[in-house]
Amino acid sequence: MAKLEIRNLTFTYPLADKPALSDVTLTVDQAEFVVICGKSGCGKSTLLRQLKKNLIPYGEKEGSVLYRGHEIAELDDRMSTTDLGFVQQNPDNQLVTDKVWHELAFGLESLGLDNQTIRRKVAEMASFFDMQSWFRKGVAELSGGQKQLLNLASVMVMQPKVLILDEPTSQLDPIAAEEFLKTVYKINRDLGTTVIISEHRLENLIPMADRVIVMDQGRIIANDDPWNIGDFLAGESAEERHPMFYGMPSVMKIYSGCGGSKMKRGLKETAEGRHLAPLTIRDGRLWLEAVLGDPEEFTPKSPSPAASETSGVDVLRDPIITIKDLWHQYDRHSGEVLRGLNLEVREGELFCLMGGNGAGKSTTLKAVAGIIKPQRGTIHVDGLKVCKENTGKLMGKVMAMVPQNPQALFTEITVEEELAEALYDRKLAAEEVAKRVDAMLDTMEITHLRKSHPYDLSGGEQQRLALGKILLLEPKILLLDEPTKGLDPFFKITLAGIFRKLRDQGVTLFMVSHDVEFCAEYGDRCAMFFDGDVVSCGQAKEFFAGNSFYTTTANRIVRQWNDQLVTWEEVARWVEQNTTL
Amino acid sequence: MREKLREGLGESGTFAGYHPAVNFIFFVFAIGITMFSMDPVFLAVTLLASWAWSILLSGRRAIKFNLLITVPVLLITSVINTLFNHNGATVLFWLFGNRITLEAFVFGLAGAVMLSSVIVWFTSFNVVMTSDKFIYLFGKAAPVLALTLSMIFRFIPLLKSRYKEISMGQRCMGRHTEKKFLERVRQTVKEVSILISWSLEASIETSDSMEARGYGLKGRTSFHLFKFTARDGWLLAFMAAMGLVAAAGCFLGATGMEYYPTIVMHEFTLLKAVSLACYSVLLLTPLTIDLIGEKKWQSSKSEI
Repeated sequence: MAKLEIRNLTFTYPLADKPALSDVTLTVDQAEFVVICGKSGCGKSTLLRQLKKNLIPYGEKEGSVLYRGHEIAELDDRMSTTDLGFVQQNPDNQLVTDKVWHELAFGLESLGLDNQTIRRKVAEMASFFDMQSWFRKGVAELSGGQKQLLNLASVMVMQPKVLILDEPTSQLDPIAAEEFLKTVYKINRDLGTTVIISEHRLENLIPMADRVIVMDQGRIIANDDPWNIGDFLAGESAEERHPMFYGMPSVMKIYSGCGGSKMKRGLKETAEGRHLAPLTIRDGRLWLEAVLGDPEEFTPKSPSPAASETSGVDVLRDPIITIKDLWHQYDRHSGEVLRGLNLEVREGELFCLMGGNGAGKSTTLKAVAGIIKPQRGTIHVDGLKVCKENTGKLMGKVMAMVPQNPQALFTEITVEEELAEALYDRKLAAEEVAKRVDAMLDTMEITHLRKSHPYDLSGGEQQRLALGKILLLEPKILLLDEPTKGLDPFFKITLAGIFRKLRDQGVTLFMVSHDVEFCAEYGDRCAMFFDGDVVSCGQAKEFFAGNSFYTTTANRIVRQWNDQLVTWEEVARWVEQNTTL
Repeated sequence: MREKLREGLGESGTFAGYHPAVNFIFFVFAIGITMFSMDPVFLAVTLLASWAWSILLSGRRAIKFNLLITVPVLLITSVINTLFNHNGATVLFWLFGNRITLEAFVFGLAGAVMLSSVIVWFTSFNVVMTSDKFIYLFGKAAPVLALTLSMIFRFIPLLKSRYKEISMGQRCMGRHTEKKFLERVRQTVKEVSILISWSLEASIETSDSMEARGYGLKGRTSFHLFKFTARDGWLLAFMAAMGLVAAAGCFLGATGMEYYPTIVMHEFTLLKAVSLACYSVLLLTPLTIDLIGEKKWQSSKSEI
């Protein structure tokens, strides 16, 4: 029996000229794991919100949304609460109470259960999620990943039959995100809960899915088994590729990108004789072994793409940021975050500083920006020493930083006023300000949003607005803290384009990131941060080719045959040239 | 052990582990009776007990903090009362045509000791009565109040960290370094306005999340983690008995004293003796319980 059924749903927001959802038909069965993906603003959230009674947005609706045969909008409140669980994006905003245990109990309190029953259910859930060690903590002490797990647990404690998640990991770092998704998978497998999840981070999610749904402009354009999605999005040639193709896992991109559908050797087959495209790194390696032969005996037919292809800054330029022997600890009882860090960022390059959580990457960035004062060591930026007297001369003039949360910058009520605000202490003529704002709206591709309220923009658009506002200060050096966090894969490409353009204008970009794939594809030089210092540093391609684990997925798949290939496009091209078919 | 004494027991003390009602009843009696005490013996008992327990709970920090609070209170109250209260028979000297009397000075001193003891009791209250206990006790009266308190305790650190992030974001743009007063005010206003709009926007999501988890359904209950066991019952009964006798003594004037026109201590009656004894026992109960608990810990640790 179908649990959830959506029939010919069309939904239009008030005052919108186009429907946000048009003619969506979809059924989800018991215990299915369904992944919904698509560009930002494709209608994913709107669709998911139709499934939870109290979250259904206002607007004009045609068609029906049924849960076990009942229209969801008319569902009994109690049933809607217990049967359908909903987890949203932001870990902080969903928390209501001050203590972990109280947050877990919140839903059960609403249902009016007695103390003994709540105690039992909460205990069960805390054990399932392995939360015993932080059960009595205050929510303010938790990490982002723990907060989001708590949000999930406090929904699961009501034992919903269907779990709906709307981009739950977009605010988390990759490690926390992976753990979160594993927990969701465990819920699906161990408890048989139906899962409907929308995500941008598909690398680990697609292999878990029973079914993948791709949305575009309010329509469902694909609704199929995961192994069929890659070929569908790849189209016949590179020009026909759907933008969402770039968001798929690297294995799928390599397989479909090199015309893998013609090389079916070594693939598993379904009972009907259909070939299953590889979804995981393991599948990908097995497939490559069938196609390329044993890595030990392998001799390449054509050479790997020449190193000259790296478009970056090869010439040794002058360093513009010099960090010497930097030491820092936040307080006497915590350990050192920076331990004698030495680093140089050269003029006009896109430098990526990578590494795990709490390694001290953000601390480094803050030290460069003069926001924290390290205990020992010096930093020189553009010939000036970073110290209290010089911060006024440096910040906002020579360099500027884009904060992780764009909201920290927004003060005005329209996008264009927001941009103009950046220039208010520059004492420019009104026409000049208007001219610069217009140019920036254009660069950031947000001209159509100029009259919107900054808070009404989507995450990616807010990110662009914040970046635009910072860029109006015309800094020579741009510091970026996790610029790709929460962005859809398609906008990441646009962002890379903006970065390239800036770099060509001579701006130096110093970014701190977890996003291996992004840094590998677009960074000039990358450095790995560990235990308070940089342990390796080099040209992006060489850097990743030299790492065995901390490297792109594409490189991990193919490195037994050729460890010089870093991006999936290189791999796909190379495999195509070297197949023994 | 020495380390523990330096840092204090904090909320891990044995007494703090009792049921919140037990903790609360103690503070009601201890602070309530202190507030109506002017007799030097009573004052001495409460002052000593309050200091001893607060040092046990918060260690070295307590000494510093208590001195920082009580010394100014002591000075201000006794000086003000001496200068502005001219009652009393024993004139020490004349100042600008006003009588400065011994009685007014002693009265001011007694008042200051009373006030500072109350403050020191409250610092221990702060350690022992954590937000959970507070919410639980007041939530008994109204579940809505419990939730509201819990949400407030959630919001304070959230707003703080958000404000920190905002001022960092502003510094990213080279702001927040203003030197002139007017510019600085303007920048602060801007940051606060960002904080407000951000928090309002975020609260929409919070209310969605509350409603999604059934907030607004009829018959909401209030969950807590506290268990009322036999030992809580015994201690509660014991402290209530001690407290009631002391309070009765207080009500009948055993803790009072005449300061004007001349200082006269109340006669040392049986009532006074009994209520003083009960009061002292009551005030030393948590201290004793904590010390015994600590002793047990030490011996159980050394056995292993």
